[in-house]
Amino acid sequence: MSTPRLLNLVAELTYRCPLRCAYCSNPLDFASVEECLGAEDWRAAFRQAAGLGALHVGLSGGEPTARRDLPEIVEAAAGAGLYAHLVTAGVGRALRILPELRARGLRSVQLSIQDVDDEGARWIAGRSHREEKLSFARRVRELGLPLVLNAVLHRRNLGRVRRFVELARELGAERLELANTQYHGFALLNRGALLPRPGQLAEAAAVVAEERARGGIEIVFVLPDLLAGRPKPCMGGWGRKTAVVRPDGLVLPCHAATSIPGLEFWSVKERGLVACWEEAPGMNAFRGEAWMRAPCAGCDQRHRDFGGCRCQAFALTGDAAVADPACALSPHHPAVLRLREEALREPSPEPRLRGPDASSSSAPGAVARSFSRQS
Amino acid sequence: MTGRRSEGSPAGGRAAAAPASPLAPEELEARLLAVLDERYHHRHPFNLRMHAGELSPEELRCWVRNRYYYQTRIPTKDSVILAKATDPAFRREWVRRLHDHDGRAPGEGGLELWLRLAEAVGLDRDEVAGLRAVLPGVRRACDAYVEFVAGHDLLESVAASLTERAAGEIMRVRIEAFRRHYPWVASEGLRYFETRTEQAPRDARFGLAFVLEHARTAEAQGRVLRALERKCEILWGLLDAVEEGSRPLRVASRVLLRDHPAAPPGGGMAVLPERAVELNATAREILELADGSRGLDGLVVEMARRRPGAEDVAGEVDAFVREMLHLGVLEHAA
Ligand code: SF4
Ligand code: SF4
Repeated sequence: MSTPRLLNLVAELTYRCPLRCAYCSNPLDFASVEECLGAEDWRAAFRQAAGLGALHVGLSGGEPTARRDLPEIVEAAAGAGLYAHLVTAGVGRALRILPELRARGLRSVQLSIQDVDDEGARWIAGRSHREEKLSFARRVRELGLPLVLNAVLHRRNLGRVRRFVELARELGAERLELANTQYHGFALLNRGALLPRPGQLAEAAAVVAEERARGGIEIVFVLPDLLAGRPKPCMGGWGRKTAVVRPDGLVLPCHAATSIPGLEFWSVKERGLVACWEEAPGMNAFRGEAWMRAPCAGCDQRHRDFGGCRCQAFALTGDAAVADPACALSPHHPAVLRLREEALREPSPEPRLRGPDASSSSAPGAVARSFSRQS
Repeated sequence: MTGRRSEGSPAGGRAAAAPASPLAPEELEARLLAVLDERYHHRHPFNLRMHAGELSPEELRCWVRNRYYYQTRIPTKDSVILAKATDPAFRREWVRRLHDHDGRAPGEGGLELWLRLAEAVGLDRDEVAGLRAVLPGVRRACDAYVEFVAGHDLLESVAASLTERAAGEIMRVRIEAFRRHYPWVASEGLRYFETRTEQAPRDARFGLAFVLEHARTAEAQGRVLRALERKCEILWGLLDAVEEGSRPLRVASRVLLRDHPAAPPGGGMAVLPERAVELNATAREILELADGSRGLDGLVVEMARRRPGAEDVAGEVDAFVREMLHLGVLEHAA
């Protein structure tokens, strides 16, 4: 099989971040991942990515503006011909360095908004930076950069979808991503606090439909796979379009791929991006369809959803090569239903915020075992 | 400044209802004149700018080039009307319109005079006469006129021609405006307008008398009023298309145009936030021409020159530009 063309690079520049979102997609052991790529390493990675055909690079984290050399990194991305997109929480130095980033070739910005008020933001992320974020968003628009707002939705803020849309309109965002929480890593630990209550999603969907009809802004809203009975086409397919490069240089097919034990990924620092993308055994483990078994093998949906999320399959069944249990056709789907019921039990717990200690009590493997036992 | 049909723009207003009972001829005439006063393209923003001396030479050329297509439809339309007529007296009168437009010998007539106007504003007469760069929106509007006449009876067809009642006046204003504001257009170019100041009122007198005589029932009067409205709408649509076609286009500042290994030879990618558009060589060529100095019209003209043998260059460039505007790859320069 020939290697698919890399289209999108996610550059996780650092895992440092002043916020502590309870749904953070960084790995549970983020604190032990060393930050060992310098600006020159990133420059080399960007050149190779562009050579492979990549068009976009998302400069993300953690909080990418925590890196002092971010302007150089932006320049390296633009210089390589990539469309440089900053994915930021808009806190700390972000506002101050924005003009310089633009001057160095930054093309667009995605700002995360944890909630529409301070209380909600503190509940999910430990602190609120409301005013800072709003000033940042305005500055993005003043500088003429396209602005995307991203809000991760969960039980506590799903009822505020309309206010998110209003905020996005007011700030002049051209796109609002209302991303339902993906239950990996920290979010999986916190599912008891985050999973929507029955009816919440339908209400939010109705508001989204109304707001879309009003026009003026693009609104992305996808029903979460665990509740839809349909798996999501995770990352557009494993190793098919997107490569994630971690702060330590490891090249992954998705943010959570290291949660699956036994997969060997390589580092850009040792082998260069081309080999990491084309040849690393982990990258090839679930490429294409050869790995699929029933019910995915032969299913007419497999070109569309690629069998769903491998990390979720592993987390919920202990086997990364089975159909995503979010799929109603999966024999493990009842485990998902039980997970939902269990998570909706009263009383609703407080979320455990992202932190270096979060992984100690409940590693993903433990979750996997508990579910495979039950099913 | 756009003349796109919107609430409040004359040609987009509500259709006049048929009168409840038959109108006296003077009343019908007044109603027809009211339609013209409200909806004729003398009120169109592009026409107002032309007469106020605000058009750039490029905009003026765009109008002259495209309006020529309308001129070429007129004799066709009049031939269709002649084919409907059964009264020799009517035909004797109406056939003069063919002579007016086509002349009695090569080098005469309204079409020829329009080509001289084209030359006077700096256009190449063969290029204009070849019609390859006519904007699709203009083509649709003009074709709609011929189709209207083909699909309606003699009475409505004649009623549609009554815009001539307002043409004499608009020509007089236009000649003045050209002399004052566009002195670089040689006066030889204005001869078409001059001949129309005489022909149009003469033709309108005949047409109006015919309509007043034959539209006697309330139903027929409703139809002639609607026919004239429809014609005003067509002329308005023509200027809408010209106006839109002359608005400068450029590649949006957010777009990164670049080569790409997956693109066809000579093509590339237009990269935007969250997506990219694959371009073939022609698409890239058009985007590179969209540098803020020309609009759809200029792109069509240039591509028609660069692709001498190609069919429907205008249609293809138009469709491509619309798609790129929709995707945010192109934008109108301020
Ligand atoms: S999800 Fe929250 S904690 Fe995680 S990197 Fe983003 S802003 Fe920081
Ligand atoms: S069986 Fe597999 S391929 Fe088919 S819908 Fe479910 S996850 Fe997708």
